Amino acid sequence: MAPIIETRGLVKRYDGELAVAGIDLVVEAGEIYGLVGPNGAGKTTTMRIMATLLAPTAGEALVCGIDVTADPVAVRRRIGFMPDFYGVYDDLRVWEYLDFFGRCYGVQPSRRAAMIGELLEIVGLADRRDAYVSALSRGMQQRLCLAHTLVHDPDLLILDEPASGLDPRARVEVREILRALSGMGKTILVSSHILPELGELCTSIGIIDHGRMLRSGRIEEIERSLRASSLLRIDLLSDPRAATAWLASRSGVGDVIEGEPIGGLTRLELPFDGDATEQAELLRAMLEAGHVVAGFSQATSDLEEIFLQVTGQPAEDAA
Amino acid sequence: MTSVAVAPPRRSALREFTSSVSTIMAKELRSRFRGRRAFGVLTLYLAVLAAIAYGAYVVVGPDARNQAALGNPFDGSGNLPNASATVGQAIFALLSVFQLLLASLIAPAFTAGAISLEREKQTLDMLVSTPMRPGGIVVGKLLSALAFVVLMIVAAIPISALVLMYGGAKVDDILRQQVVLFTSAIGFGVIGLFYSALIKRTQTATVLTYTTILVLTLGSLLVWRFWTATVENAPGAGIGEVRTAPELLLYPNPAVAMIEVVANTELEYGDFSDALTRLRGGLPLTCDGGVCFPSEPQPFEVPFVPQGGLEGDAVNTRIGQFAVAPQPNRGLIIVSDHFWPRFTISFWALSILLVLVSMRLLAPAGLRLPFRRRPRPPVGAEPAADEVPA
Repeated sequence: MAPIIETRGLVKRYDGELAVAGIDLVVEAGEIYGLVGPNGAGKTTTMRIMATLLAPTAGEALVCGIDVTADPVAVRRRIGFMPDFYGVYDDLRVWEYLDFFGRCYGVQPSRRAAMIGELLEIVGLADRRDAYVSALSRGMQQRLCLAHTLVHDPDLLILDEPASGLDPRARVEVREILRALSGMGKTILVSSHILPELGELCTSIGIIDHGRMLRSGRIEEIERSLRASSLLRIDLLSDPRAATAWLASRSGVGDVIEGEPIGGLTRLELPFDGDATEQAELLRAMLEAGHVVAGFSQATSDLEEIFLQVTGQPAEDAA
Repeated sequence: MTSVAVAPPRRSALREFTSSVSTIMAKELRSRFRGRRAFGVLTLYLAVLAAIAYGAYVVVGPDARNQAALGNPFDGSGNLPNASATVGQAIFALLSVFQLLLASLIAPAFTAGAISLEREKQTLDMLVSTPMRPGGIVVGKLLSALAFVVLMIVAAIPISALVLMYGGAKVDDILRQQVVLFTSAIGFGVIGLFYSALIKRTQTATVLTYTTILVLTLGSLLVWRFWTATVENAPGAGIGEVRTAPELLLYPNPAVAMIEVVANTELEYGDFSDALTRLRGGLPLTCDGGVCFPSEPQPFEVPFVPQGGLEGDAVNTRIGQFAVAPQPNRGLIIVSDHFWPRFTISFWALSILLVLVSMRLLAPAGLRLPFRRRPRPPVGAEPAADEVPA
């Protein structure tokens, strides 16, 4: 089965500055694909190209098998797009807002009323049908905007930072809605500069920085491939010098950093190439060699860690 | 559901266009006519127009009656054939000028933010990423913005029609007036819309719109006047030859068009007629057989017509008067259809051009959105429909 999004060597240049520098992205149907990267990494540009709001400088982008530059209108009929910064027409009522976008997408009048009811149900605004959009809270407006992407029952949702600026509760609500939509068979391309947010939601992620795709794939695969080279923390009660010398002789172990001893306990930190089995093997051999190990752990390697490893800098500082 | 089932059936380009226009209009009108504001503004506008008409009656009425009874104290001759027509003409002139002024103020106010406000409120991206054509969006925005202005003009027609009761302006004068008004209002609106599509900020777009309207109305007149002043006294000009700046400068000028429409209704050779004949670059009047009409630019010959050169004492008297002071009784109303048709054509051309440019500005750069699209096979081995799972 052909992927629902496919880009080949996508390049976008603004006034000579490279915003997207050759991104190859493949999203299979039914996935929730998270695009992660620091601000200015090229996430928004990539998404706007998919949403036919920007033309790529070079390369190809296919959405549902259609080239976005060759037939943008056909692409628009198949996607729902929510930009990172958006406004709502606050002088309309909630149902009028959805009715307007229904008309924009050419939804038949007979189907619009039912469609509005269903969408408001999905995003939990059914009781706000006749309220003015301006009277909604920020989180509700976000959900309304999410609902507008669904009026024409698209195959693909492109959501640029759908949870930005929301409080934790509203974030969870948005996440649950996205899960439900995925359950309804929608493919979702979502971006964020906050990794843990995506980790709980996405089936696949792509990490992008400086306009390049650094890693892309199923979330477990990425975690595994990165954990293969992880940081081990070993708390020793015995002589740290001997242990350091012993560790240095093992294969797969990088430079060992020796911490200051605290109450007879010395912490060693060492990069280690190996999966969980090899880690267990290392521990067993270490104990057999007579070192007294009080603690043996892998430095938490959640998505944030992966992100830092891959981009080489903290997410918030990178611009 | 496959994507084929989801996508609405493809419609003709024209139907897509009209449906885009009506979609935008429905939304815009919904928010614009909500509440009492529109109702209040319209009532106020009509009240002001009615007050102006009444004011003209109060000011001109007694004077016209005096003139009808005693004759004109200034040229000592022509007693007015109809005092009522004087009142009607005064009302017509005032309403024409006032409505044009109002159109120039109100129409841009509604359009100069039409697109830039969407950009400022960050709603434009979502609008543009729908399958609606930029043309439909632009025209829908324009029509809904102009709907209120058009409503104001149409609602004022009964007040303009007061003139018919007094006389002084005929139905075709009112038709001319309405054509010039509508053309101006639409043109002013389009200028606003164009700047709204071109400029990111509404404030800047608004300033540029009013500046452009000022240049079109007053600016072109000033340029024309100065240009004329430099050429009419230039060395080498033949004696009696009237030279002016190119008349083309005045064609897209709504004020000039309205001056002509009003001049057509003047009973005497009044200010508007005088302005018109000067603008036409002619001598103030050419009279023939008791009929005076604005002349085309021609050699300066009328004042040299010998006293007995034309038949009839009345004509001779008038020409004699004219040679001394160009304020004759016009005798018959002469219709000049020179500027206003040219204005109408050039302003519509300008409007259409600017609408087309605005559509272009709204479409994402680099993405071709042809009006009629050739169906294209999807890039890839299989048709798109099969690539999307149920």
